[in-house]
Amino acid sequence: MRLRTPNVLLPKSWVACVAVLLLAGVLPVSAAKIGDMAETDWRTQAVRFLTLSDPAVRYALAGTALLGVACGLLGGFLVVRRMALVGDALSHAVLPGVALGFLWNMSKDPVAIFVGATIAGLLGTGTVFLITRTTRLKEDSALGMVLAGFFGAGLCLMSMFQRLPSGGKAGIDKFLFGQAAALGPGDVRLMAVVTLLVVMVLGVAYKEFLLVSFDPGFAQVSALPTRWLQHLLMLLLAFSVVIALQAVGVVLVSAMLITPAATAYLLTDRMHRLLLIGALLGLVSGVSGAFFSFLGTNLPTGPFMVLSASGLFVLAFFLSPSRGLVPRWWRSRGQRVRIARENTLKAVYQILEDEAFRRDSISLRELAEKRRVTLEAAGGEARSLRRAEFATLDDETVCLTPSGWQRAAAIVRNHRLWELYLTHAAQVAPDHVHDDAEKIEHVLGEDAVRQLERRLQFADTDPHGKPIPGVHAVHGPSPAARPGKPTGYGGNR
Amino acid sequence: MSDANRKTEAAGEPPGGMAPLEVHDLTVAYQKKPVLWGVDLVAPAGKLIGILGPNGAGKSTLIKACMGLIPPAAGWVKVFGKPISETLSRVGYVPQRESVDWDFPVSVMDVVLMGRYGKVGLFRRPSRADRDVARACLERVKMLPFADRQISNLSGGQQQRVFLARALAQESDLYFMDEPFAGVDAATESAIIELLHDLRGKGKTIFVVHHDLPTARNYFDWLLLLNMRVVAFGPTEEVFTYELLQKAYGGRLTILSEVAEAVRAKGHLG
Amino acid sequence: MNLVPPFEFHRVVVAPWTTELANYGVMALMSFLVAAACGLVGNYLILRRMALVGDAISHSVLPGIVVAFLATGSRGTVPMFIGAVGAAVVTTLLIEGIHRHSRVKQDAAIGIAFSSLFAIGVILISLFADKVDLDQDCVLNGELPLIPLSPSVELWGIALGPPALVRMAVVLLLSVVGILLFYKELLVGAFDPGLASSLGFRPGWILQGLMVWLSIVVVSAFEAVGAILVIAMLILPGATASLVTDRLGRRMVLSVVHSALSAVLGMHLSVWLDCSPSGAAVVAGSGLFVVAWLFGPHDGVLPRIWRRRRTLEGVIDPAEAEDYPGSGRVIR
Ligand SMILES: Nc1ncnc2c1ncn2[C@@H]1O[C@H](COP(=O)(O)OP(=O)(O)OP(=O)(O)O)[C@@H](O)[C@H]1O
Ligand SMILES: [Mg+2]
Repeated sequence: MRLRTPNVLLPKSWVACVAVLLLAGVLPVSAAKIGDMAETDWRTQAVRFLTLSDPAVRYALAGTALLGVACGLLGGFLVVRRMALVGDALSHAVLPGVALGFLWNMSKDPVAIFVGATIAGLLGTGTVFLITRTTRLKEDSALGMVLAGFFGAGLCLMSMFQRLPSGGKAGIDKFLFGQAAALGPGDVRLMAVVTLLVVMVLGVAYKEFLLVSFDPGFAQVSALPTRWLQHLLMLLLAFSVVIALQAVGVVLVSAMLITPAATAYLLTDRMHRLLLIGALLGLVSGVSGAFFSFLGTNLPTGPFMVLSASGLFVLAFFLSPSRGLVPRWWRSRGQRVRIARENTLKAVYQILEDEAFRRDSISLRELAEKRRVTLEAAGGEARSLRRAEFATLDDETVCLTPSGWQRAAAIVRNHRLWELYLTHAAQVAPDHVHDDAEKIEHVLGEDAVRQLERRLQFADTDPHGKPIPGVHAVHGPSPAARPGKPTGYGGNR
Repeated sequence: MSDANRKTEAAGEPPGGMAPLEVHDLTVAYQKKPVLWGVDLVAPAGKLIGILGPNGAGKSTLIKACMGLIPPAAGWVKVFGKPISETLSRVGYVPQRESVDWDFPVSVMDVVLMGRYGKVGLFRRPSRADRDVARACLERVKMLPFADRQISNLSGGQQQRVFLARALAQESDLYFMDEPFAGVDAATESAIIELLHDLRGKGKTIFVVHHDLPTARNYFDWLLLLNMRVVAFGPTEEVFTYELLQKAYGGRLTILSEVAEAVRAKGHLG
Repeated sequence: MNLVPPFEFHRVVVAPWTTELANYGVMALMSFLVAAACGLVGNYLILRRMALVGDAISHSVLPGIVVAFLATGSRGTVPMFIGAVGAAVVTTLLIEGIHRHSRVKQDAAIGIAFSSLFAIGVILISLFADKVDLDQDCVLNGELPLIPLSPSVELWGIALGPPALVRMAVVLLLSVVGILLFYKELLVGAFDPGLASSLGFRPGWILQGLMVWLSIVVVSAFEAVGAILVIAMLILPGATASLVTDRLGRRMVLSVVHSALSAVLGMHLSVWLDCSPSGAAVVAGSGLFVVAWLFGPHDGVLPRIWRRRRTLEGVIDPAEAEDYPGSGRVIR
């Protein structure tokens, strides 16, 4: 046996920190019931919310924050495992359990509802699993059926309660679309316990959940209790759906699992960061949902939370620095502009080269002929060069600046080296290489060029017999400024 | 496990003379359809063993059944003389590349570290030593510069090498590799084969599912020809014959010509 | 506890077909029409593995209806249809857009798209509660019991029935005609889009047509069953039928049979328990599914257990093992 250092079985210190913080947020909340919220205008409501003067506000705030964290954390696993809609089925399937839990003593007893709903949710996901395993039905149909079947049963039960003398106005209908203002101290305590549990379990078994989600077969081979971990994850998911029910509502609770985590998936590509960002976004959307629904009378909380979460998703979708649509579009636009400029520079270089670099400027007409475009288009290209300070443009005359010269020499050099490489190494016929080189010359990095040179033993003419500009040209002044060497840039040694 | 123990294995003799893998009368069925029938084999230690057979022959299934990922309908598997559940820590695994989602948000390093999880133990964190092992394994497959990349930003061959590094990090005595050469270029393939020969030199036993007949002969010490049952299992010289290959790939014309080609190449070489 | 009322045979079984026929008969008929029309589209959703896209569209029809309502101030058929089709188009575009242009997979994209749209719908309802004649209960349950109460539509002096019923019947009729006309296009499109385009059909158009059809069915069902239970109506008939037979034509017929049975059983159930009639229809339909699941000829759990016992005996059969290689793959 190899000795193991018996250290880390205890929860990590940060888990403890989070736990303390969470508890600190919840316990000071004193017991009180919601006041009447009738007929107040949204400004006073906003003030009431922001000053936290009302205990109902504090409960709503603590509760939505807690459920946001729990759902955001666990949702990460659903999203990366492409199981988002399992969350949807799970959240609809809890409804009959809520109803039966309610039946327990005909009141909104948080614990009874919690137990009933969890059992129903697990039964629902179990049924999905059984259907896909034993029939030819695919997962999507199974999810849809279980979702609707359980939900229908729940609706039947609830409509039966409405008839009962005590059932009618006990607030069970709040479970459908969610009402954060109806959260009581018992609910919030339960939410705190569950969120704490989720955070602790993930803190302790993050590595196991990661492997089980990424590669279950390998997890089993690594002697992890794969099946138990899967069940545990499902159980935690059911827990967090159930605690979220009262504030978000059965119908939309799956969005609190999916949307914050999917948003986080857009922002990072490491699992631990995904979970943390998901939790944070869940918290933000939970709290802001509570805030918005507080502004009016009788506004349901769930839809506002979901909309906040979706708003964050939209922001990330368009603006995420690495993968957002706008930055990506901007970058590709930048690249297109750069390539266009480099092509113009190359044309200028070639025109000057044809006259053995005796001049240092060309006319727009020459440029237009070389590029085979109209005079106006050539003018546009020249202005683009001027914007990048690669050239000056006066009176239809284009004159490259020193940096323009260097860039032009570099791009011609890349082009010719690559052509040479293709004909030498890949044995492509010289008259076929030009198009490939056209594409590759813009993306060759410094290192790649060095490597090419070495491969080609510092050759100095391209397959068409033209000189390849040397390194000194790429870093040196223009040929016109070097009277000793009027024939251009040839020679690498 | 003590160092002394390791050394005896390195010499090619498993402790107590136990075979690395012993399969007896193994039958595996998916629901009602059996895909492996009565597989019997005893693998020698310290050999690089190729598993050959047509698509759907049950190669992956055999590997999974040996690793205990699929319960057998009949028969048993013993690894180093014990049931697989007791010897998992001595077995390494390279699954088929398609078996995971490469968009998963983990880095190359994270994946290789997963190879250490079996040794690290439940609910403990990988230590610095584990990270060093993982890094060394990445270095061996020449993937260290990519350690911090997300795995979707890798080419197919690089992904395959990451899986290989993960298996190396398991530091096992018996390896099962499912098509480690799929989508790998020739240079990488020979680098991997060199690595496998190196492992074999340290006394490890390695099963490799392979699809290319002409190279199979040069790569492997032993061959297992599989088509739902064992067609042949033995040293390459004995197994790599036209008759046996035809029996394994029976009835498939395109493959048959490849078989003929491979056998001709064999005649040519030796 | 008097939660479950006693089972009075006359009240539960006889009365709905005699004295109460005008009421319960219409409800059962409506619920049959809804389930049948939904079930027919649903068969294609199941084939295409798009059941949850159906779910998404049935949710997002809600904001479509509300917006149409707010714009026109009435609950007319045409604005509602336009609103629903628009919402369906927006949903499919959102789902496609999200999973094309980011790394978020289709399942999460579906979840995000429909929950946002549905949330918008609910918020609009609660903000304009006084202007919209819709409430949250209607969104969840539908208003099946109210349908028989509305005045009958008359055509050439003949009373046809309540408007919702007539609308649903027309939609069902059009669905049947559409299926008969485009049977092979729909089949090939569902089975193999590549083949469809090589045969000269446009798979994209077939898909769009399916979505429009789906949204029209869903919006006409909305009044009866709300936005959430629709998914049951869409999937249950086809899923049950697919456990019984492989052939698409027979599945269609069987799913209509399933709809009829679940409508009648559901009606009786809701009379007995005095509960939400749409919920009861779904429960009855699920019950029928479970029956097919247990006893179905192919995948039925009980036949399977019996068969497994038989095959396990025959697994290691040396006689069959010898006629290998090549042919020995399929073992009975
Ligand atoms: N999960 C499964 N359920 C049902 N049948 C399966 C399953 N996995 C594999 N099979 C069947 O078992 C047989 C053997 O499959 P296996 O994956 O072992 O083949 P293989 O030899 O690895 O093929 P390949 O060369 O294509 O990887 C095939 O006929 C396949 O259809
Ligand atoms: Mg395989």
